Amino acid sequence: MKLLKLHKQAALAACFAFALTTSVKAQTDTATSPETTTEDEDFSMYDEVGFADKGAKRYCSPKIEGLSPAKLISIGFDFQGPYQLNLDTFNNNMNEGFPENGKTATTSGARFACNIPVISKTSLVWQMGANYWESGYNGMDKGPLAVGYVENPMLKSLYANGLRTMGINTTVFKPLNDKKFLLFQGSADMSGDYNWNLMPAKYMKYSAALIYGKRPSERKQWGVGLARTYRAGELNYIPIIFFNHTDAANKWGSEVLFPARAHVRRTINSRNMLFAGYELEGQSYRLYRDVDHRDKDLEIRRAEIRLRAVYEFSLKDFIWMSVQAGYRINYRYDVDRLTNGKEIYRAFGLLSDEPYVMTNTLTNPFYFNVSLNLVSP
Amino acid sequence: MKKILFIAFAAFFGTILSSFVNQDAAGDRLIGVWEPSNGRARVKVEKIGAKYYGKIVWLKEAVDPVTKQPKTDKNNPDPNLQNVPLKGYRMLKDFVYAGKDEWTEGTIYDPLNGSTYSCTIKMTDKNSLEIRGYIGVSALGRTDIWKRLEVKKK
Repeated sequence: MKLLKLHKQAALAACFAFALTTSVKAQTDTATSPETTTEDEDFSMYDEVGFADKGAKRYCSPKIEGLSPAKLISIGFDFQGPYQLNLDTFNNNMNEGFPENGKTATTSGARFACNIPVISKTSLVWQMGANYWESGYNGMDKGPLAVGYVENPMLKSLYANGLRTMGINTTVFKPLNDKKFLLFQGSADMSGDYNWNLMPAKYMKYSAALIYGKRPSERKQWGVGLARTYRAGELNYIPIIFFNHTDAANKWGSEVLFPARAHVRRTINSRNMLFAGYELEGQSYRLYRDVDHRDKDLEIRRAEIRLRAVYEFSLKDFIWMSVQAGYRINYRYDVDRLTNGKEIYRAFGLLSDEPYVMTNTLTNPFYFNVSLNLVSP
Repeated sequence: MKKILFIAFAAFFGTILSSFVNQDAAGDRLIGVWEPSNGRARVKVEKIGAKYYGKIVWLKEAVDPVTKQPKTDKNNPDPNLQNVPLKGYRMLKDFVYAGKDEWTEGTIYDPLNGSTYSCTIKMTDKNSLEIRGYIGVSALGRTDIWKRLEVKKK
């Protein structure tokens, strides 16, 4: 009899536990729906606070309000409309090729980039990234000017192999306190006419930038620094200026890393942004593949300024699309011979006036670029 | 025999009950007022039912510089919520204590862009949280460190 009573008590306890669980679930579901609490609370009590950990420090954030979202993964396509290539001959003992003037081509290719946070702490942010860009050269001439009749060895190589850049990069943001920070960016890129057979690692190009900056408010950050860069096609060491800001209404702003890029931003809302500005794009491309049995020391110093308008918008949640169109201005498309890979550092003619082995000009076409992006939290 | 059975029964349920109580106590360490690393807001974590929620209780810039009114959730993709005041807004929702100093199954809302992310919280010490917001998989995310605040009683 007593055992039966015990069973009854256990069953009652189980029923009570079930009822309690159900009640808690219902309460939670109710709590989930409202976005804001309705009870009156004296929020002024949170004005005066201190860290529970007396040794804790405040550090400045790498971002400011209103900036365009950082892209974790980006897949895109770039197209430059028809333009004319005027290619010189190689000088010295490389002048057996013919010059090519007035060849018409378009350039297009896929672009992929990713940037993944490795360490994301208040006192240190470290990201690693990778990128792959390709430029295919598509000859548009017919008849005797057509691709099959090209004599100039460099143009032959461009038509046959195109150019590629593949690299890895890293970004480190180190806040010094709640206002000051250091920003380091470094990259190693393999650029050239290689295909699936990559070039030796000794042809990698290394770039880096170090910026000392301040973040005086939630809407402004700026900095100055020094960069080792190939953006102008050839190696340069240049001062750089970093400046991001957003106005009080969060309608207008700027995103500048001069001289690499500078944009004015118009924020329609947090998921639709327009930009106008420019980007300087460039790299030194090694002509490594054995076109006409030439040496492998030639590098195209390619740099272009892209004046552009960009529209970035959220397609759905974290998937953003970027559409840009503009005018591509050729800055440099000359060729150096880097004997045994030894780099030439001209410092804009101040340290060396060594001539290029080939001086080329390109006319300037309109271009467009579209990309799908997964943006960062 | 029946007495032994009853004691065993009571001990068994006692242990289970005690583990629930301990689990609750461990999970409740999340309750309190916290500051994200950017220092722009202060968030009060409360327990409602068995889950944990965090609402904004303080904003560095509480007034909209254009409208001169208290800031609202103007970036919310739902137009019906764009006039909801940010103070009192639940930006952390539905967290469950999973043991080992971790709270999971929750979401975090970023009022700056109106996006909601999956989120996990890890307590690295009693006064520090690692809040990881991510998209789909944890690798595609960002971690922020929040510090516990002591509210000075008025």
